[in-house]
Amino acid sequence: MSGFPIYYRALEKATKLLSLLLLMVFAASFLMPLYWMVTGSFKLQTVTMAVPPEFFPSNPTLENWQNLFSNMWPVWRWVVNSVAVSLLTVVLVLLISSLTGYGFGKKKFPGSNALFFILLSTMFLPNQVIMIPLFLLVRALHLTDTTLGVYFAMALPMLSSPFGVFLIKQFCSSIPDELLDAAKIDGASEWVTYTKIVLPLLKPALAALSIFTFNQAWNYFMWHMILAVDKFQYTIPVGASFIARTPAFGKTVTNVGLSMAGGTFGAFFMIVFFIAFQQYFIKGITIGAVKG
Amino acid sequence: MELILDIKTLAKNMWKGRSGYLFIAPGYLAFLAFLLVPLLFAISLSFYKSSFDISARQFVGFEQYLRLASDPVFKKALLNTINYTVVIVPATLLISLVIALLIDPLGMRLQSFFRGAFYLPGIAGGVILSVVWLWIFNPTYGLLNYTLGLLGIEPVLWLSSAPQSFWAVCAVVLTFTVGQPIILFLAGLAGIPQDVLDAALVDGASGLQKTWYIRLPLLRPVILFVLATQTIQVFQLWEVIFMLTRGGPYNSSTSLVYLIYQTAFISAKYGKASAIGVVLLLIIMAVTILQMRFWKDTDL
Repeated sequence: MSGFPIYYRALEKATKLLSLLLLMVFAASFLMPLYWMVTGSFKLQTVTMAVPPEFFPSNPTLENWQNLFSNMWPVWRWVVNSVAVSLLTVVLVLLISSLTGYGFGKKKFPGSNALFFILLSTMFLPNQVIMIPLFLLVRALHLTDTTLGVYFAMALPMLSSPFGVFLIKQFCSSIPDELLDAAKIDGASEWVTYTKIVLPLLKPALAALSIFTFNQAWNYFMWHMILAVDKFQYTIPVGASFIARTPAFGKTVTNVGLSMAGGTFGAFFMIVFFIAFQQYFIKGITIGAVKG
Repeated sequence: MELILDIKTLAKNMWKGRSGYLFIAPGYLAFLAFLLVPLLFAISLSFYKSSFDISARQFVGFEQYLRLASDPVFKKALLNTINYTVVIVPATLLISLVIALLIDPLGMRLQSFFRGAFYLPGIAGGVILSVVWLWIFNPTYGLLNYTLGLLGIEPVLWLSSAPQSFWAVCAVVLTFTVGQPIILFLAGLAGIPQDVLDAALVDGASGLQKTWYIRLPLLRPVILFVLATQTIQVFQLWEVIFMLTRGGPYNSSTSLVYLIYQTAFISAKYGKASAIGVVLLLIIMAVTILQMRFWKDTDL
């Protein structure tokens, strides 16, 4: 680089600074709604409706949070519901995808190509199409009568994850056949080979898939919305949406501060989860798209 | 004789591959029970007239589809869905590409900071973001009209007038769709070999020239992937509409999926809703096939 004149260096530095500034502006505008929501949750009803708006709560109040945690809405129950549904989905998807993906990736059997093709062709299926039959199934089986039934019903449309199977199959193809053959020669059964050799090798893919699935299950709003018949069955997004859209008893407008507290509460768990597992999130996004 | 032999070898091969069948069995059964059979049932349901009591459904042939063809609300939903796609997908692509190109030259720490910052709204999700946008869009005490007022612009009824409601939905969706493409583009940019860029520098290429002639062509597979996934996602746009406008006013912001929701789960017209679902399915299939073919043609 030493061959370049000084003004070039200065120009480079200026562009760098300018692009950093531009990025800051972009990021600030994309994060503005979240900032507005969090600070709004600490504003009194009168302040939330004030013109001009207060950019930072000058008299922060905990009233909205106290209201949120009062007995009107079972918000902690929603957390339990969301966590239970998402975890159940992750466990079932991991189990099913790893078994099926390994079967398609490493086993030779007649019809495997055709069966895999049928599965893969539904990867981009719009979920709303199968929600009607699944809803009728859930209704006919009275799954929403019990808590466990609701959780299973909420996980139902995500169970057969063509994406998960595809991902694991791709990952399996990087496992050398010699390794599996060696295990066979050593007398390992199919099941032992799968649990002791294949599963450990699939760990990175399974980690990415579980984060991806957890996030997807958490935000599977429409299906949760359709299934939940009372407020004890809501998941967090459903609950937050109800608070934001339904005025309290005897009121005509929704309580903005309370809505913001509900929204902040709803966003909190996923954001903490994201910060804790950021690397896996990114892997989960790029794993399907960028080869290698 | 030959046929018998064939069946014999097939049976032999199937027996040999029995562990394969066992491994795929749980997943494939779940796939059949909770995806393929429901899908086929939905398609068959679209040829019936059916209300809340599904056992009393009546076969009507193609009537549901013929009715849709002359249904103004359906036409509006279809047109809106296409318009949403035409607005949101290119905008997402452009914004995320520009942001990714700005982030790419930064150091590791700043990169991961900005990557996280732009992905954060997507993590919160469309429903949660809509909760705060309901307030921001409020005509009398919302932040947006206040800010516009400072610029001398009259208050706008963002959610209760057309076509503003359509643009309001677009804007909110854009705030959380860019995160994922940015991460994909950054991964793609990181994969471009440094020696190619160095060679261009030696040849005297400017920063913009390097981007235009080297980075963008090399990013093409990622761009196509983002186009495909975003198109499919926007075609299924629903939650923001549900939260902000309920499709209104006068269906000006409704979408196909919102109409499916309304028809099936509010009005309990399962046959009609299934027919709309099949139309959506066909469109998404067509788009996917088109994009796959395009993919093949470009040799990537």
